[in-house]
Amino acid sequence: MTHTQDTTNGPAGSPDPATLPAPVGSAEAEQKRKAARARTGKARFVDFLESYALLVILVVIALFFCFWSETSSTFPTLANMRILLASQAVIGVISLGTLLPLLCQEFDLSVGNIAGLSAIMVAASVSSNGSVLGAVAIVLAIGVVIGGANALIVTRLHVNGVITTLGMSTILGGIILQRTGGLAPASNIPQSLTNFGTGLVAGVPVIFITLLVIAAITYFVLNHTSLGRQIYAVGSNMDAAKLVGLRTDGLRAATFVVGALLCALGGLLYVSRAGGASPNVGATFLLPAFAAAFLSAASVRPGRFNVWGTIIAVYFLAVLNNGLSLAGVDPYVNDYVNGGALIAGVALATVLYRRRTT
Amino acid sequence: MNDQTATNLTEVEQARKVALAVQDVSKTYGATRALDRVSLEVTTGAIHGLMGGNGSGKSTLIKMLAGVVTPDEGKLSLKGEWIDARSHTPARAKASGLHFVHQQNSTFPDLTVAENLALGRGFESTAVKSINWKAQKARARKVLDRFEIDVAADTHLVRLSPAAQMMVAIARALQDQDHTDERGVLVLDEPTASLPKHEVDVLLTALRRYAADGQTIIYVSHRLEEVTAITNEVTVLRNGCVASRLTGAEISHDTLVAGITGSSSSSQNFGSRRSADAIASRVHLSQGAGFRETALTLSRRTSDGLSDEMLLVRAGEIVGIAGLLGSGRSRMLKQIFGATPRDEFDVTVRSGTVPSSDMRTAMKRGLAFVPENRLREAALPELSIAENLSITSLSEHSRAGWIRPARERMAAQHLINEFGVRAPSTSAPLTALSGGNQQKVILARWLQRRPDVLLLDEPTQGVDIGARNEIHDLVRAAASAGTAVLVVSSDFGELAALAQRAVVISGGEVVDSVDGPLTEDILNDTVYAQEKAL
Repeated sequence: MTHTQDTTNGPAGSPDPATLPAPVGSAEAEQKRKAARARTGKARFVDFLESYALLVILVVIALFFCFWSETSSTFPTLANMRILLASQAVIGVISLGTLLPLLCQEFDLSVGNIAGLSAIMVAASVSSNGSVLGAVAIVLAIGVVIGGANALIVTRLHVNGVITTLGMSTILGGIILQRTGGLAPASNIPQSLTNFGTGLVAGVPVIFITLLVIAAITYFVLNHTSLGRQIYAVGSNMDAAKLVGLRTDGLRAATFVVGALLCALGGLLYVSRAGGASPNVGATFLLPAFAAAFLSAASVRPGRFNVWGTIIAVYFLAVLNNGLSLAGVDPYVNDYVNGGALIAGVALATVLYRRRTT
Repeated sequence: MNDQTATNLTEVEQARKVALAVQDVSKTYGATRALDRVSLEVTTGAIHGLMGGNGSGKSTLIKMLAGVVTPDEGKLSLKGEWIDARSHTPARAKASGLHFVHQQNSTFPDLTVAENLALGRGFESTAVKSINWKAQKARARKVLDRFEIDVAADTHLVRLSPAAQMMVAIARALQDQDHTDERGVLVLDEPTASLPKHEVDVLLTALRRYAADGQTIIYVSHRLEEVTAITNEVTVLRNGCVASRLTGAEISHDTLVAGITGSSSSSQNFGSRRSADAIASRVHLSQGAGFRETALTLSRRTSDGLSDEMLLVRAGEIVGIAGLLGSGRSRMLKQIFGATPRDEFDVTVRSGTVPSSDMRTAMKRGLAFVPENRLREAALPELSIAENLSITSLSEHSRAGWIRPARERMAAQHLINEFGVRAPSTSAPLTALSGGNQQKVILARWLQRRPDVLLLDEPTQGVDIGARNEIHDLVRAAASAGTAVLVVSSDFGELAALAQRAVVISGGEVVDSVDGPLTEDILNDTVYAQEKAL
């Protein structure tokens, strides 16, 4: 009792081992600083492992398929590598479109069908008039109108984002069915567009380079601009973000609109690569895009959804699926992989988030 | 020796019929003695008031009774059987008939009265285990009749008055004790904190009726008027010790205040003793520096279109807002900043008027707001310390929207040094820091903007004593640099240590002010005097 009185009245308070050293210059402080440095050395290694584990696993799996007898003749070929890089560019762009709202803790379940609608409308448009500029206009219109509608419903009517975008996705599915009658439209895609989708620059697919450029722009906006910082702040704690004067509704709306634009662009890229569009393609985008966006929180910047983590995750899933297909496993195995990856991604993101915040 | 006293007490108990007794219970948290050999006896069928200021140990004692907090030592008697208080558990509390109803009550507003009564007890079910709604409703009606609550069983709780909601919560806690001799003890923790005046009367009438019916009640409140009106016996705690025990006619406003605040001259309180020196030095400072300019004015709009000055804070001044729980003190700060809409009063600062519900303009006008709940309303948990600091000043750290990382890092390092934040690095997440250091980051986040007016809500809640003093020093430094500070704290010791003067808030209105040197006792007296006047 008397002891406690003394410490509360003492000028410096009791030395608490839980708090970091306060006095500067003393021998004790020097010692503690050294200990702290040693800790950071070890922590840095753990950080590195945490940050690049997915990349390491990606390389290990790729090497495995290179040497496994089932795939050693088909997987490590230039043709296969190009297919892998090019085919996943579409998913990559849509994953980035999924990532943006996710940064604000919003789920956009309409990403797949936005890309799907964009694909069939672009295919129909370019087939009839051959104008690539018209296709770009369609992409912009779809992104702004559908993304804007999602944003308004979520931020103005305060409807839960999952419900809003699930409803929107279903409506878009209806529009796709109405416009196509369930059949792939006869397409006559102009050469200029298909050249873009299948072309190579220095042996690398143009469409993959496009993905890298889009990812780089997204990365710089998110991590090096005031706007990106504000988006991360909203995702971290919306109430706190509001109380430091951020326009939280505007920021959430922006991620929905830009996310939808990226998805619509994904639809255009799909047409350029596949030379047409089928009414069912949208549904096949949704799950891999979400799996990749969630897995991003398990790499590069653990605990935070991020751009390069998303790209790594897209190719991690692709290599796994591609290798298994080449080995001749039944197609349903891919569903196991994608579904499992989505759950694992969410679980890892949760665990890493907790580790960073508690 | 302990056995000896225990036997003696048991004899007394038989004579007076003691429903619940606590003997020599102590609890220490770190350097704080929350309970120091506290004993308590509650007579069967009585309404026993439990009073004490903030930090008196009141809530620790309640948590101990609930079995949530394990004391360091002491004994506990329920239904006449003594046990070691350390072995008390929530399950045991429930088994021995202790029922708790908290102020933030655990009822479900969107469910019906019948559903609320059934939750936590079990639903009436049919042969196939589905809920038998008819039986359920009938049972609810019976309970409502017994507790004389005049509402329909299928009304949604949210539609009831606050007093009726509280009574449903009480009925739910007590519904299973049917026989008079099996009565347990009902513990009500600040049941009226959020009730308007006329609702309080409804609730108190009901409680009197239950007590007359033989129900033992422990009534925890800081409202003197209610305690004098309703209780038969009172235990007052101060600084973790029993300050006084009162029964019957001894219970009055004056005896209660004397118990709560103690004799002012011999006060051992840390905060008030510090404050005398601090005030002396600060009065000197603010006068010397010549900060006499008005920085913040709150004025109420009167019916005839004129405005009536409510509160005025000068540059360099620290003004405290004192008030009881539910007085609207936190709400007032949020209204000033624009986080909560206001139409009762206007806010004017040096650069103009501050519109309602517009935090961005408030910030531009030089206001800064450190909210009460750091975790929920201020922290960006997984963002780095540098990012948490720069969020209020992004334009300072960027050119044409592009953040300049080196500049941001340097500014963060500078702030960390200036505010004495103990942090491994500027890139560590905010949650790597202790509570006190997190709070310093939040404070630095706002003070780097050199605000004209700083609004602080519970600036040192959940912060250890060392960090608390450092935060106080930082606030004083900001004030002496010309910032006007308005601080809300439920810890009057803190207000006394920090503020030069204080206003008292009740029902969202400024009702009194203390201009002289502040001490914890003066604040307690003024606030409780106000409570009596209402």
